[in-house]
Amino acid sequence: MATQPLTVSDPEGQPIGYVVGGSLQSTLRVRLTVPPQTIQEGSFVTIRSGNWQFYGTVVDLQLGATDPRFADEPSEARLPRGLVDLLHGQTLYTNLEVLPKLMAEIGPEPGTPDYEAWRSEHPEGGRIMSVRTVPLHHATVRLAGAGDVAEIFGEPSERNFVLGYTREQGHPIPIDLEKFVQRSAGIFGATGTGKSFLTRMILAGLIKYDQASVLVFDMHNEYGYDDIASDTREPVIGLRTKFPAKVRVVGLGQDTRIHGRTPDFNLVLAERDLEPEDIEMLTRELNLKETTPTTLAALVQSFGDRWFHEFRQMEVGAEETDENGKKVPAPNSVAYWANSVGTNVMAAEGLHNKLRRLFEKPYILPDPPEGATIQQVIKSLEAGQHVVLSFGKFESDLDYLLVTNVLTRHIREAWVRKTEAYRADKSKNPPPRPLVIVLEEAHKLLNRDLAAQTTFSTIAREMRKYFVTLLVVDQRPSQIYDEVMSQLGTRISGWLGDESDIHAVLSGLADRDQLRGMLTHLQPREEVLVMGWGMPMAIPIRSRRYDERFWNEVLGKTDLSIEEGLQKLGF
Amino acid sequence: MTDQPLTSSTPLEIGRMLRADTTRCVVGCRAGQPHLPPLGSLVRLPVDDTYQVYGVVADIQVFDDGLTRQVVISPNLDPSVILDNQYNRNLPLEIGVLFVGYEHNGRLSHLLPPRPPLVLHVLYTCTPAEVRRFTAHGRFGYFRHLLRATDQPLAEVVAAHLQQAQACHAQGGNPHWAREAARELITLLRDDYATLATVLSALADTELDL
Repeated sequence: MATQPLTVSDPEGQPIGYVVGGSLQSTLRVRLTVPPQTIQEGSFVTIRSGNWQFYGTVVDLQLGATDPRFADEPSEARLPRGLVDLLHGQTLYTNLEVLPKLMAEIGPEPGTPDYEAWRSEHPEGGRIMSVRTVPLHHATVRLAGAGDVAEIFGEPSERNFVLGYTREQGHPIPIDLEKFVQRSAGIFGATGTGKSFLTRMILAGLIKYDQASVLVFDMHNEYGYDDIASDTREPVIGLRTKFPAKVRVVGLGQDTRIHGRTPDFNLVLAERDLEPEDIEMLTRELNLKETTPTTLAALVQSFGDRWFHEFRQMEVGAEETDENGKKVPAPNSVAYWANSVGTNVMAAEGLHNKLRRLFEKPYILPDPPEGATIQQVIKSLEAGQHVVLSFGKFESDLDYLLVTNVLTRHIREAWVRKTEAYRADKSKNPPPRPLVIVLEEAHKLLNRDLAAQTTFSTIAREMRKYFVTLLVVDQRPSQIYDEVMSQLGTRISGWLGDESDIHAVLSGLADRDQLRGMLTHLQPREEVLVMGWGMPMAIPIRSRRYDERFWNEVLGKTDLSIEEGLQKLGF
Repeated sequence: MTDQPLTSSTPLEIGRMLRADTTRCVVGCRAGQPHLPPLGSLVRLPVDDTYQVYGVVADIQVFDDGLTRQVVISPNLDPSVILDNQYNRNLPLEIGVLFVGYEHNGRLSHLLPPRPPLVLHVLYTCTPAEVRRFTAHGRFGYFRHLLRATDQPLAEVVAAHLQQAQACHAQGGNPHWAREAARELITLLRDDYATLATVLSALADTELDL
């Protein structure tokens, strides 16, 4: 935990109870002194004990009784209301379980002579650190005030992008975008929990902050141009609309239009861009045989980087009659080539048949036109622009798997080259601009079968080594390879119904048993749990709404009407 | 008794102490006298000019004798005979008092008195001001002496005491004393379900506005 100076504690937070037990290894037990309905699971609380302040989250609420008979027999029917209220505070009670995460030495009560003496000894104030001890019995527990929230999560700014608000008191909870892009991150949630809106908001924050380029693989054409929400039918503003100079919408294939609009440029894959690994990655999608790697190796050996082009030109079953009147494979046939290099004819013809789906793709050309190449995408990203690659009508899994992997592999190679040049001579070569690759439906590329073969798992493992990280967006995190999941730094999750998905989202995190309850009890919409490396501590929040007000706040516009503006100016 | 004020505005001499131990004493008094302190009321026994002991009435016993036994089976009992036996008897009415604190040199304490009064020391009722002063002192520490007396109708004594003391506090402008007292009782008894249930049931039968 990076330390930072702490100067303010918030005495205004409402006292809610006092510590009655617990342990550092698990949780602290807090006797609640306010009605339980005023506190929710996930509430951010502070505990003042001596010169120390502890910060934690409520992970459970438990009803208790000094004697079970007090709980068993409803006293309301037998006793006056006043006595019942008194009983409920003492013989019947609510205990909180608080998961302590951070602590800070903040000195004696401000305003006392002891505090002045302490401040003179600690002019820099206290320091926030991971929790290493426990508060005393009966230490006062308060709901965190705005000052406490700001101390821990930071003051909202362009770097500290407000993701949402605490659920009880509405204090803004920002996420540090600088840290967010330093490791791969994930946004999860069942269908309809608002993943896409949350992703749009974070992307808007990243684009506005402008310290990293963003490449979005927009499988469903929803991030670039304005769209219509699938559930509410409300218009949804696209990133290109609000950042016309910074965002480039790229359409896959020549002449592709996105929502009736011409994209900024098109992307066409050159045949030489494809490598055997790109084909092997499609084994399941194309139902390839185990002989495929051998045949592909023979193709590369025969034709070099033109292997795809040459193979595409071949025909299966083409024959001609030799001088003896016997039917033999024609020179343009697969069998002819297979025989000539000594590879299995049946295997080669089978592979050719399977690859026919790729051969028919109009976005794979021998020579893409200038300005429609992978290099153009890389140039845009290097120039500090942000790219939304819309797949247009090419929405099949095959298109998505192939294009994302080929493009990402080339991008990573470019970033590795730049990084190595930078490390070789920092005075001549600038560091690569950090790049965040956004993967929707990430499980299609990062599942157990594919993860090892794609570039993405490599990127997830390398983290910031080559200045490229992933932002995976998915509704089925359990389908993503465990090793990739465990590498994700910041994780943002909406409601998940499936136990295996919950388990996956929390994999590799400390305190996952306590976090599980918070995740399970999120509202199905507009509530998310933010946790992991980019956050000082896990906290459930009410997420911001993606609307005009959001854009006004992000772009620094005022909410005032013309009349209100004039009035404010004194007219 | 019920038509008498619960506590007189001036201290009244009730009787004299017959016997005592560390925690309680028994006071004898004339059976028919007015203003006998009711169950649960606060009383005091001055020992000298600087020391007096406070107690709560927890028991009142009326004894019979041979004459009463004969009279009780007589047919056609004359009302004058009844009144004579009720008010002019030679046997004392005995009041059991639980010690709940003391005052020495003007300083109140809810500890047990360092030494009990001696025989024939006089028992007085407490005025409302004295009740307010003693019961508002400290934080209800004297309740532990009441709650220890399990050989007495503890719940009834406590309920009666709270009702009478609250009347004095209400006169003094504090309507919340009984609520705080009930809260303290619950705190003290929360691990003793049987006793607390009885005390709460008794409190529910009072006219206290809790």
